Amino acid sequence: MVFDFVSWFLGRRDKPRSKDLAKERLKVVLTHDRVDISPQMFEKLRRDLAIACAKYVEIDEAAMSVRLDSQDRRLALIASVPVLGTKATAYSSKRRGKMG
Amino acid sequence: MNGKVMVVTSGKGGVGKTTAVANIGCALARRGKKVALVDADIGLRNLDIVLGLENRIVFDIIHAMEGRCRLRQALIKDKRVQTLYLLPAAQSKDKEAIQPEQMKQLTGELRDQFDYVILDCPAGIERGFKNAIVGADDAIIITTPEVSAVRDADRIVGLLEAEGIEKPKLVINRIRPDMVKRGDMLDIDDVLDILAIDLLGVVPDDESVITSTNKGEPAVLDGASRAGEAFRRIAARLEGEDVPFLSMEAPTFWGRIKRFLGAAR
Ligand SMILES: Nc1ncnc2c1ncn2[C@@H]1O[C@H](COP(=O)(O)OP(=O)(O)O)[C@@H](O)[C@H]1O
Ligand SMILES: [Mg+2]
Repeated sequence: MVFDFVSWFLGRRDKPRSKDLAKERLKVVLTHDRVDISPQMFEKLRRDLAIACAKYVEIDEAAMSVRLDSQDRRLALIASVPVLGTKATAYSSKRRGKMG
Repeated sequence: MNGKVMVVTSGKGGVGKTTAVANIGCALARRGKKVALVDADIGLRNLDIVLGLENRIVFDIIHAMEGRCRLRQALIKDKRVQTLYLLPAAQSKDKEAIQPEQMKQLTGELRDQFDYVILDCPAGIERGFKNAIVGADDAIIITTPEVSAVRDADRIVGLLEAEGIEKPKLVINRIRPDMVKRGDMLDIDDVLDILAIDLLGVVPDDESVITSTNKGEPAVLDGASRAGEAFRRIAARLEGEDVPFLSMEAPTFWGRIKRFLGAAR
């Protein structure tokens, strides 16, 4: 209590300001409102994206992140897909494994 | 005359559409423009009482549309501001009573006689909203710095775009400088960052809006009202003037004293 008062008096604030929460939450919800996509559909999109990527490269699906972002009312799908190896290297390393 | 038809809309109710229509309209009329305010909130007539014209209604918008009176008979002329007129909503009908084509025709007729035709839109995104925007060239979106109002405003931007009304302009109403200062209310930049549309004005939360509404005299008629000043600046901007936005700084102790002395002088 006393500490709260002192830190308040010194102008220090550790509590997040409620407007920052409002802004963060609004940004997320509006981005989804704007594309009008349900969480289920979004999950399907993420899965399909993973499957598509996996056709060409070996990916770490658990570590992949996909999100929607908007700037000036324009939307972007931002994906980060960790690549473990190209198919060629994956193939050859497997082969090498077998041979060795 | 070839006036401009503007709709004032928000999605969410109670954020200040009717207040804004009354004040912006009154301010434009005081600048010498011929202004028609149209209450398109059918069944929930309000603009008349905010303007203090509730005792003068004989005919309403539906009478005029159905040809049961002439348009000019339904238009109530304000006595304080010579060039201000009100077309009241019908109180006994509901929103279904109007067809979009009728609304288009009506705004077209008004456009020929006025510099500005300003429509007070009902809350929601249903039939009443669609009717109110169908004849409009431009839109003014009202929001308050709260999550639900901002979210609804964003939805309205999308719906307006779909109806061919591009580039709506934003008014942020009921800003509380003390809360903004503590970080407990979204500030102007936050709201603009989120909605990404052009800013037309910022209006403080101000008791004088309520007292002026009690009296039926829009706050712009009160020279000492901060909200009134904000609405006067919005009218100036609509007229193409480049005026600074009203400062939303929380008044300091000395600032308050200075203002008190200024008002007393
Ligand atoms: N800037 C303001 N300061 C204080 N009160 C306000 C302000 N703007 C609107 N109000 C009040 O908020 C309430 C809702 O306003 P109103 O214009 O009727 O909203 P809407 O037409 O969007 O439903 C009214 O009681 C009005 O007096
Ligand atoms: Mg209203």
